Amino acid sequence: MLAKRIQPMTSQARRLYVELMFQVMGRALQAVSEVDREVREEAQALPKGFLFEMMVMPDGAKLIVEHIGEGRFHYHGNSAPRPADVSIKFKHVTHAFLVLSFQEKTSVAFANDRMLVDGDVSYAVRMTRVLNRLESFILPRIIAKRAVKEYPENLHLPEKLISAAQIYLKIATHFVQTARA
Amino acid sequence: MTNTYYEFFCPVKVIAGKAALEHIPYELTGLAAKRPMIVTDKGVRAAGLLDPVIAACEESGLDIVSIYDDVPPDSSTGVVRAIAAIYRNEKCDSIIAVGGGSAIDTGKAVNILVSEGGEDIAKYTGAGVLKRALKPFFVVPTTAGTGSEVTSIAVITDEAKGVKLPFTSSFLLPNAAIIDPRMTLTLPPHVTAATAMDAMTHAIESFTCMAKNPLSDAYATAAVKKVSQSLLQVMDNPKDSLGRLELAQASTMAGIAFSNSMVGLVHSLGHATGAICHLPHGLCMSLYLPYVLEFNLETIREPLGELLLYLEGPEVYAATPASRRAEASISALRILRDALYKRCKLPRTLKETGKVTEDQLDQIAGMAINDGSIMFNPKEVSLKDARAVLQRAWA
Repeated sequence: MLAKRIQPMTSQARRLYVELMFQVMGRALQAVSEVDREVREEAQALPKGFLFEMMVMPDGAKLIVEHIGEGRFHYHGNSAPRPADVSIKFKHVTHAFLVLSFQEKTSVAFANDRMLVDGDVSYAVRMTRVLNRLESFILPRIIAKRAVKEYPENLHLPEKLISAAQIYLKIATHFVQTARA
Repeated sequence: MTNTYYEFFCPVKVIAGKAALEHIPYELTGLAAKRPMIVTDKGVRAAGLLDPVIAACEESGLDIVSIYDDVPPDSSTGVVRAIAAIYRNEKCDSIIAVGGGSAIDTGKAVNILVSEGGEDIAKYTGAGVLKRALKPFFVVPTTAGTGSEVTSIAVITDEAKGVKLPFTSSFLLPNAAIIDPRMTLTLPPHVTAATAMDAMTHAIESFTCMAKNPLSDAYATAAVKKVSQSLLQVMDNPKDSLGRLELAQASTMAGIAFSNSMVGLVHSLGHATGAICHLPHGLCMSLYLPYVLEFNLETIREPLGELLLYLEGPEVYAATPASRRAEASISALRILRDALYKRCKLPRTLKETGKVTEDQLDQIAGMAINDGSIMFNPKEVSLKDARAVLQRAWA
């Protein structure tokens, strides 16, 4: 009986967590592209106006970012101005939760068929590297190791702390600006 | 290393062995198909490989309504459109693809157009676009390596845009794959070697990469064993039809394995090298395999060590300390490559190919790290890593 009552609450909590994490990650993608040169170099290969989407199938939470040129991303929230060029689609909110709560690495989620790639796979590979770089910055090393295939050896604590602080500050600023708007 | 979750799917009926071709009429009739079209290439026809297929059908009173034998090595949207038009004009109701990867991929793409309608195959590109079963489709492979007869993907070049269009759907899988040793008996030695090493690579990567699972493992290990036991025998005696059948089955089994567990860095490098230097895919696989295994070694030590049993047999496996088995597996592959080089000059290094220059390595590395298969490599690969592997494979 109790389990039956808790089930919908757990499900709702997961959904809210995934929505919140998408909002954080979208803003963080924009921020990291402003902070980190390596991410900009990676993103520069994407066409200007390129739209990247992560979403939960069939019509769940989503995040959309656009490459606005020079390797910089702009976070569009959950609505795209046009169809996305590359979309990474989680088959179920539970799968998104596993990845976004760092219980399953992004690469393992791909290997486990938890998500589909719609669009040019080479761009999806590039965006995965950007996401890995972002996670390596903003997560404590012990958690980042659970999220990425390999924690970058050349990412040392001072650089990590400074970049993470900048990224979190930008995320917070963006949240405030959105709330005011 | 084995995943706690996995998916496995292969609904293809495999018809393999002596007189397998003679099962085609019965199988077609079972799907209510009476007017088959053959899709193939000029090389297959010139080698006389269509004759037993046609004879097998005619002896059962089944006429091949149309034969398209002009599939190029890199099939295009124009070719697919042209074949679909012939299929419709001749009122065909099924397709038999006879050939290697290109003919099979073309057959899959033609089947999309003739089943779904329209002229523009590009409309169906991507994953999961197809929502229903297509027309009856049979595949008769004439090489033993690609495994395309059991994969749910086709790649067709859009000549107008100059890009390769991928099509992925389980509906692309043929209803039946007919593995008949007669179809590979006349393969030249270097093609036999390269395609068998392609199958070997499919099996080894599926067994050592991230999406490995218990079912794909079973197919992969069986394929490794068959290639190890039969390849050199067939190289020494090309008319060994039992050995040919073993290689053909190994190719199909490796195809089933990798289509359910994906491949890794060997394929990423191979795809890039094929695109930039126009080297045959199987050759690239054979060339890169040991260097990539060395790169991945510490991540795949356990499964790679297990493969020694299938590469070298139980005596060698038992006599090798567990801690040395992974290295021994790589050595076994190097010895196999040396034996192939001795027999047919199958290149072991990029320099030996004579078609790659050292200044192309940066470009190959750049393309390889954006290849989709790199996602499934067990170890993260940076640009610097890919360049280092290429440098080791250079000479």
